[in-house]
Amino acid sequence: MKNILKFLFIIPLILSCTRKDVPDHTGLYEEIRHVNKMEFASMAVTKTVKTERSDWYKVGKRIAVYSFDTYLNAYIDMYEFDIEDMEFDENNKTVKVTLPPVRIEIAGRDMEMKKEYENVGLFRTEIDSKERAKMKEKASSDLMKELEGDPEYKQRLDETARRKARSYFESLFKNAGYTAFIRFSDESPDKGDFRTPTQLEPI
Amino acid sequence: MIKALKYAIPLILTVLIVFAGWLLYRKIQKPEEIEIFQSRPGDVMEMARLCSMELYNEVSILDTVNSKVMFAVQKQAGSISFDMEHLQIDDTGDTIRIILPPEIVEVHEASEKNAWQVIDTKAIGPMAILRSNKFTISEENRVKSKIKTNAIKRLYANGTVRQARKDAVKNLSLMMEGIYRRPVIVTDPTPEGSQK
Repeated sequence: MKNILKFLFIIPLILSCTRKDVPDHTGLYEEIRHVNKMEFASMAVTKTVKTERSDWYKVGKRIAVYSFDTYLNAYIDMYEFDIEDMEFDENNKTVKVTLPPVRIEIAGRDMEMKKEYENVGLFRTEIDSKERAKMKEKASSDLMKELEGDPEYKQRLDETARRKARSYFESLFKNAGYTAFIRFSDESPDKGDFRTPTQLEPI
Repeated sequence: MIKALKYAIPLILTVLIVFAGWLLYRKIQKPEEIEIFQSRPGDVMEMARLCSMELYNEVSILDTVNSKVMFAVQKQAGSISFDMEHLQIDDTGDTIRIILPPEIVEVHEASEKNAWQVIDTKAIGPMAILRSNKFTISEENRVKSKIKTNAIKRLYANGTVRQARKDAVKNLSLMMEGIYRRPVIVTDPTPEGSQK
């Protein structure tokens, strides 16, 4: 009887020592960068990846399709923008502004993967996390190649960011009492004239 | 009998070699298991955001979902920015007064190589040996959702958000002084972060 009581007393103690459902996320490396960027456009690019393993001697299908978004940002680096890049004309209440060039960066990708489709037969092995990580890795490196080879995405972002930056700064200067003529420092001479909003291309 | 075996063994061996060769051929000819589709671009979103801080982290993750443990390493990329389109600007006096808006904290998985590495998964608890140690996609996404929440919490706890807001006050003051050509005071109503 005494032993049974001892046993009953020990069980809750053992259970209380088992691992709780507390996540442990430890920082291995941390880097913080002080920046001064104005972001004017962003775009999500969806990548879809499929795995299918089929052999004549295996019973049942094993197909999975997942997708995730990668984010691209268009910004101008305000550390490159100086007081000398603004030429004020107090008589006419105008200002000529030369903005730094628009740059495109990859901000990152979704942590989660979206399940588009899954069909894993009863006799087939489930798709595990390592396999999904491999799929994501492959899809991501494929996207990088696409972005390098196809300037269309960058062009779309660049155009939108320039248009938005122009309208944003024009409106700020208007509030300050000036009509702004804005150009970007990397624009070619024929496109690089200071333009007013009326000269901008329609969206 | 011995005579029959004498012919049968080379025959069986030949059949086996041919079969193995055929299997090998099929394996070589097998199409790629992973197929990647052409990317689909979404709409381009216009914005005007001041980004004052960028972050790069590498974290190890040990988490449990439905009595399954995952250990993984993740590289994260993030930023702290401020919506400049809805700034509260009071320009009625000699001094321009601006209120710093709430911060936008974003943490993503980095897009570089091996940004998400799963080291191991295991089942725990009673009868663990009989249960699958594989995470379903929804279980894995639950782990990742916690990673994101924890990463953002950590940025508030270790003062990164506070520093980003401080930097934003400085950067915004300089930019607005250049535009308005008048003294500018940027007020931060929540120096520790608007989400804290």
